Amino acid sequence: MRIIAAIINTLPTVLSSTLLCFFLPFSAQADGRIKGTGGVSSISGAGGGGLIPWATLTGHSTREELGGNMFLTMADVDDFTLEVAGAGFNYRDRAELSYARQNFTIKANDARISQDTVGLKYRLAGDLLYGSLPQIVVGAEHNALRDSATAKAVGADKAHGTDVYISSARAWIDGLGNRTTLLNVNLRYSTANQYGLLGYGGDDIGTRLHVEVAAGVFLTRSWVVGAEYRHKSDNLSALKEDSATDIFVAWLPSKRFSVTAAWVDLGEIAGAPDQTGFYLSIQGGL
Amino acid sequence: MGHGRFVYRLAMLSLVSTLLIGCMGIRKEQNLFDALGGQEGVNVIVENFIMQIARDERIIDHFAVSNVERFRMMMREHLCFLADGLCEYTGDSMIDTHAGMGVTEGDFNAIVEDMMAAMNQAGVPIGTQNRLLSRLAKLRGEIIYL
Repeated sequence: MRIIAAIINTLPTVLSSTLLCFFLPFSAQADGRIKGTGGVSSISGAGGGGLIPWATLTGHSTREELGGNMFLTMADVDDFTLEVAGAGFNYRDRAELSYARQNFTIKANDARISQDTVGLKYRLAGDLLYGSLPQIVVGAEHNALRDSATAKAVGADKAHGTDVYISSARAWIDGLGNRTTLLNVNLRYSTANQYGLLGYGGDDIGTRLHVEVAAGVFLTRSWVVGAEYRHKSDNLSALKEDSATDIFVAWLPSKRFSVTAAWVDLGEIAGAPDQTGFYLSIQGGL
Repeated sequence: MGHGRFVYRLAMLSLVSTLLIGCMGIRKEQNLFDALGGQEGVNVIVENFIMQIARDERIIDHFAVSNVERFRMMMREHLCFLADGLCEYTGDSMIDTHAGMGVTEGDFNAIVEDMMAAMNQAGVPIGTQNRLLSRLAKLRGEIIYL
């Protein structure tokens, strides 16, 4: 029994070391981009801001390098909490593969909804910092609920679904107040209810095209402040759904580590109005 | 709950209006060369820059056959020229200088980071740094993968 307990106790360490050994051969050279150009990790796992993915590819690898990030995120609003753990992998600053596990908890009864998201992002053209074209990517996010009961109960059609988006971002080195300034715009096609946590589709399907916007300013090379907006539609006649916004502060002491704190306004969720609260995310380079 | 939302909206409003004011603010910018401290300031940046490059294992090989004295003079001229100082740049074009060197985008970013460090060391404020960096960034297409 003791041996089993010891093995269980050391398992996370062994697993993370194995992962580290696997990534180490290339991670030593995966820092070729300017700090901050990889953004942070969004709740879907895709490189981005927080509530929405950005056109940036996670990490700091160039076209000669491979890289990635792992992250942990927590959001705590009035009646719910969301915990996310995940990772993103960057292939030569051309493609990004990401995974996230979301655990959404209803505080009142401690009920939990879990969702897995796999994301893929492909850089079509341009560059965040350099040249005449902004960075333009296409992406897809496939969400699957672990348990379809809640989604079915609220009237969603499916417990899984895929969002697709096109995203464009530019950072002006000499932007507002001579500070590096980022603007990101996404156009998303989705029938998700509350990020997929309440399934896909419904009896009152709203618009399927959603605009998402993020803006940020690098006050210094290590501190960024900004805001995001995520338009969402209302597909369920039984429950109202609002768009979501956040105001964030990110601290990037190195290319390998960042902390993002935000204030989120998620609007009405599952009959509970005005869901505002805090958001905290830490990210570490692979 | 309602209170939280009010404070949130107030914060959002302040952030957006700060950004807008920053955007609309009609500010007459000081000449960049002057902001960098004139030729004296540029010379300090160039010295720091050379020391940064000398220590930078990522890119030092590209400079193995360089004539440091010529590099120093040309950098002084080029920065003065780019910063709207009244200098003429007498060196070769960026394309001629970097042809056949195989400078990667990572090498270019390493140089950008060395320039940031050089300017930090010289006490150049970040806004002034960004003004110069955005001009240097425009040269990237004439430097990498040649």
